[in-house]
Amino acid sequence: MSVDSIPANREFAKQIGVTFPILSDFKRTVVKDYGVFNEEQGFGNRATFVIDKEGIIQHIDEGNVAIDPTTVIDACNVLQRKKASQ
Amino acid sequence: MYKRMSLVAVLLAVLSIVALAQQTPPPKTHLKVGDPAPDFTLHATDGKTYKLSDFKGKKNVVLAIYVLAFTGG
Repeated sequence: MSVDSIPANREFAKQIGVTFPILSDFKRTVVKDYGVFNEEQGFGNRATFVIDKEGIIQHIDEGNVAIDPTTVIDACNVLQRKKASQ
Repeated sequence: MYKRMSLVAVLLAVLSIVALAQQTPPPKTHLKVGDPAPDFTLHATDGKTYKLSDFKGKKNVVLAIYVLAFTGG
């Protein structure tokens, strides 16, 4: 997800070969709700939220830490294991 | 001499930019682990609309926010 328009994200996805859908928060409401809106620059700062099936946040990476997906993958694995043990 | 001075000036400029970048930590979200994720409804590149709460009880969700399209990372 980014604050770019859908056409911009569509072109970006094509350029980098992304096949999954990208969400567009053009009105900046979601980046504000999630506390990552950069008012000076007008965009959402880099962040990754892992949300479980119950809608509860289980992991947050913010800033440059969020470039490396390792911790997010770990958090997803924990959720998968939880699911498997249920 | 001038060449060396301009080289030093360039080096100092680069170092200040690096220092400035490191001094500015990203703003911290008010959200914490354990908080309910704020619901949202957004349009996507596939023409569909996605609502976070539609996944409740069905799927875990990874919400990855990137800065801007056409930029690295």
